[in-house]
Parts: sequence; structure tokens; C-alpha cells
Amino acid sequence: MIETATHIEFIIGTEKRLTDIISRAEIEPLLRSLIKAGPLSASVLDEAEQPLCRQGQDAPVPPSDEIRHNLLVEGEPKGALLITFAPDQVSAPEALALLTRDALQLIINNNLKRMLTTEVHTSVVQESYDQLVATNKQLMESEKKYRQLALSLEQQVAERTAELQKAYSRMLQQEKLAAVGGLAAGMAHEINNPNGFVRSNLVTCNRYFQKVHEMVNYYQLQIANNTPLMQLQQESDKKRRELKLDFVFADAPDLLAQSIAGSDRIARIVADLKSFSHVDESGAADADLNEELKRTLAVLAPQIPADAQIIQNLQPLPTFDCNPGLLSQSFFNVLQNALQSRSAGLVVTVASRSDDGGIKITISDNGCGIARENLPRLFEPFYTSKEVGSGTGMGLTIARDIITGAGGTLEITSTEHSGTTATILLPHGAGKR
Amino acid sequence: MIEFDEQQKRMVLKLVYYGPAMSGKTTNLLTLHDQLSLQGRGELMLLDTTEDRTIYFDLLPFFYVAPSGMKIKLKVYTVPGQVRHDATRKAVLQRADGVVFVADSQTAGMSINFESFDNLEKNLSMVGLSIEHIPLVIQFNKRDLTDIVAEEQIRSAWGPTGLPVLMASALKGWGVLETFKEVLGRTFDAVNARHALTSRFGVDKEDFLTTILTVADDV
Repeated sequence: MIETATHIEFIIGTEKRLTDIISRAEIEPLLRSLIKAGPLSASVLDEAEQPLCRQGQDAPVPPSDEIRHNLLVEGEPKGALLITFAPDQVSAPEALALLTRDALQLIINNNLKRMLTTEVHTSVVQESYDQLVATNKQLMESEKKYRQLALSLEQQVAERTAELQKAYSRMLQQEKLAAVGGLAAGMAHEINNPNGFVRSNLVTCNRYFQKVHEMVNYYQLQIANNTPLMQLQQESDKKRRELKLDFVFADAPDLLAQSIAGSDRIARIVADLKSFSHVDESGAADADLNEELKRTLAVLAPQIPADAQIIQNLQPLPTFDCNPGLLSQSFFNVLQNALQSRSAGLVVTVASRSDDGGIKITISDNGCGIARENLPRLFEPFYTSKEVGSGTGMGLTIARDIITGAGGTLEITSTEHSGTTATILLPHGAGKR
Repeated sequence: MIEFDEQQKRMVLKLVYYGPAMSGKTTNLLTLHDQLSLQGRGELMLLDTTEDRTIYFDLLPFFYVAPSGMKIKLKVYTVPGQVRHDATRKAVLQRADGVVFVADSQTAGMSINFESFDNLEKNLSMVGLSIEHIPLVIQFNKRDLTDIVAEEQIRSAWGPTGLPVLMASALKGWGVLETFKEVLGRTFDAVNARHALTSRFGVDKEDFLTTILTVADDV
């Protein structure tokens, strides 16, 4: 603690001299009154016997008597009261002296008390003030610290948000790739089929062409040899039968027509994929959502079970300003779920209509449905009821994010073992982003 | 120590009565004032109070002059016990040579006693003194009341500290002188060990104690 501060020396107990406690001005009136009662002189002396205050005649004329009383500070003599008077001039001088001493002692004691009280009070106030100042300083410092913290917090939040956004778009990309991967497997099969018979037809046609070539060579050779016409006729008929040219001429046009149709099929599949993925487009465009639905169904065709029934109830829709590639991705995710909901006897209904509220698209199935306890978790990222490795758990999450991003809503209602309906609502004038 | 002037052969010592509010510190001083002879002491100075609670401190001075001429003045202080007066308590505790801790014997007062004792330890260290080394006496006051903690219980709780524990009723006037004598003796020993009062200044412990503890004739 601060012991050096001079203002607390009284409390510590430092000894005080009489002159520290009373002043000349305080005792002078008392001594003056005393002189009026008869004494020749009255003095208050300090420890060193030096007069602190003196009243009456400067040099008392002898013969004179004197009375002396000690003045106490904390019970210890620290000065004296000295009274001189001419013999028999004052009645009851001793009583007068005692009275004056008691009055002086009272002043001394009270002054001492007041000084001590004032000093304690001052020191306590000072200490409290110092504490307040210190507390204030601490508060200011911590406020400053928190301000800086708040500032850097904002920055940190911005940084983390940017990171999250990056991670999210990376994830979106991966989900797209996964969907494309799934598609590719189906597409490969779809493309391989026509490609297979086109190739087989071409191989056959190649063989047919060689036979025709051989026949033409035969004719040229016989003509060069000047073979008689009758003989040529007989032998060429035989040759023709050997080469089964009648069959070749009948079969080749069929094979070629079949191949052209196969090639057309491949071209259509590629066109569907291209239009579904919107690889040639970028950003917003006026889209016919019915077309998007149809294309999505087309690319999903390989995944549709053989006996499944797809009912399309598509009413004319106004164009919707959106990113068609993104929106068809969300249709794809929802439709794929519907197609996987049941293996035999599947019925999927895709319906669309437009009214004052906006465009409404529903995709319903008669599949396995969703257990009640799983419903709240449908849109939760990485939540999946599919077997490990067969679903990312991001399908519906991304579908909803895309639709919400276009200003719409995606809701799913389901009854376990009887089917699921996904409802997509896109208000007019929404989208455009 | 307040003051020590070897040339003037003068020493001023300080004792402090510490403890929780209403434990009877001022009553201890009043009893000392009443029981001890005016010969060896000054008047008791009670600073202003509110509703009989000490808000500043009380002061009772004692004097002793050894045959060798060595003068020893002893100032005995009380501190305000109320928690809010901590700054005053700390100020009064400065340069203390000995401490009496006045505890309240009542059952309800036990936790407050410990709090106050913690406060004493903290404030001593804040004014540069150590509770380990300063002469310290514990007084359990108010033994005249009925709902109080048994003496054996107190002794078993405080025994391990090695501190002297005395029972008292300051209001009834007993145990007060004994407490004062205990702390005075221990304080003398501590000062003597540091400043060689007996060997260098011819101050006899017995004479010092007897003179200060002279009981007034009219009690």
C-alpha cells in the first residue's frame, strides 16, 4: 500500500505537537477574556516552553504569583497554560486557571478528533476515487479490447462465410458430377445398344459389299474372255446363287435403314443430355419448365423400370426466368427419388399448371414413402436412407436450395408404404437469378 | 512501529483490535479504559459514530517511562468492523506492532469471523505485514451469551494455528485484561528481539507490563 502519502500520517499514529493542533487565533479570545477577570498575564506554551499565544502585561510587575497547568495531547503533556496575577487581586485564581485549562483541553481534544476524522475521510475518499479511476481505466481498456474483438469478429465471420460458400459450391459441383456419373452409366447402356446393332449391320453390309464386288469382278472377267452369252447366263446364275445375292439385295436396305434409325437414336440421346445439362448455356434464360421436365425424364429413361408407368399431365406454362440448368438439376433429384421408390408396379405422375399463385409442379409416386420420424430430416445435408455408397444425402438439400434460390419453395408430403408427393411452387416474377 | 527515535530514547508502538462488526472491539477498549489506572494511560478518544457503530476508529494511548529514561508510548486502536469500511481498516492497520482479533462467540457469527479473519490476512499483506510474523492474539468475546459455540469446539478449530485463544466478555469486564496482557507481552518480545529494548535501553518486560497494566484503585 501507499504509505508515503503524507495525508494519512495521523491514522498511522505520528505524534503531533501542540502547535499542529491549535492555532493562536483559536485561543486568543479565551485568554483575552481571562485577562478581563483579573490576571496580569496568561500564556499558552508549547513543548519547547515557547509562547504560542500571550495576553496581558508584557512583564508582570513583581511580586506576582503564577499558576501552571499542563496541556495534554493524547494524554501526554505537550504544552502548558501559564497564568500570572498580583497577590490578592483575583478571587479564586485556581478555579479560574482550571476552568481555562479545561476549555483549552477541550479545544485540543476536539481539534484532534476533527483532524483525525477529516484525514480518515479524505484518505478513504481519495482511495475510493483512485479505485474508481483505476476501474474506469480498466473498463475503457476492456471496452477497447471488445471493440477490436467485435471488428475482427465481423471480419472473421465474413471470412468463414466465404469459406463455407466455397465449400458449398464445391459440394454442389460434386453432387452434379455424381448425378452425371449415375446418368452416364444409364446413357452408356442406351448408346451402346444402337451402337451395337449399327456396328453389326455395318459389318454385315461390308460382307455384302464384298459379295457384290466379287460378282461385278466375275462379270468383267467373263466379258473380257468373250464368254458366249448362254454360257455366261448359266454360270452367272450359278455364281449369283452361290453368293446368295438375292438375299443380300433384300436384306441390305433393311440393315441400312435400321442403322440410320440407331444413329438417329444416339443423336437424340446426346441432344437430350446436352439440353438437360444446358452445357451450351450460361446463366439466366426464359425457360419452358415443361420442356425441362420432359428432358429430365428423357435422360432418366434408362433408370425407369420396365413396367413402370409415367403419367405426364403438363398444362401450358408461361416462361420462367431462371437458370434452367440448375432448375432441371433439382427436377432430376426429385424425379430420381420417385423412380427409385419402388421396383415393380411403379406409377409416377408428373403434373404442372399455372395459376394466379404461380407455377405449381407436383411429382408423385406410389412408392415406399418416408417414415414419419425421418420426415423432419429430409432436407438435412448428408442425411440418406439409401445404402452406403448409393446416395450422397445431398439430393433434396440441393434441390431445395436451388428452388429457394429461384424464389420458390419445395415441400414434401409422404405416407409410409403408400407414396410421396413433392410440390414445387414458383411464384410469377420470381427467379431471375 | 509508528516511531523510534534512538537519540531521544523514544518509541511509539501500535496495537490494533481487529474483527467483524459488532464483535466488541470498542467495548474492549472501554473496559481497558475503565479498569486500568489513569496513571499509565491517556484518555480514550472515541471518534464520531453513527448508531453506536465505529465508522472511523477509537484510540487509547498508554505511556511508559523506563528507569533508564527510555520512553515508550503505546497507541491502541480499534478498526470499524463493517465490510464497507475496508479502506479505513487498511489505513489503521498500517505499521501495527500487534493485533488482537476479536471474534463473536455466537453460533451465527462463525462464518463472519472467518470472513473477517481472511480480510485481516489480506489487509496485513497489503500494508506489508505478515500474519505469520506479527504478534496476534485471538479473543472469543461475548462468552456471557447463551447461544454460543462451545469452547472445546473453538479450541479444536483454532488449536492447529498455534495462536493464543482467549475467552472473554468485554461487556461483563472479564478476559479483557488477560487478552491485552497476552498481546502486550508478545508485542514486547517481538520488538525486543528486533531492537534490543532490554539490553540496549534497559527496559524490563515485567516492569513494562506491570506499569501499563496497573489496575485502577476504584474498580
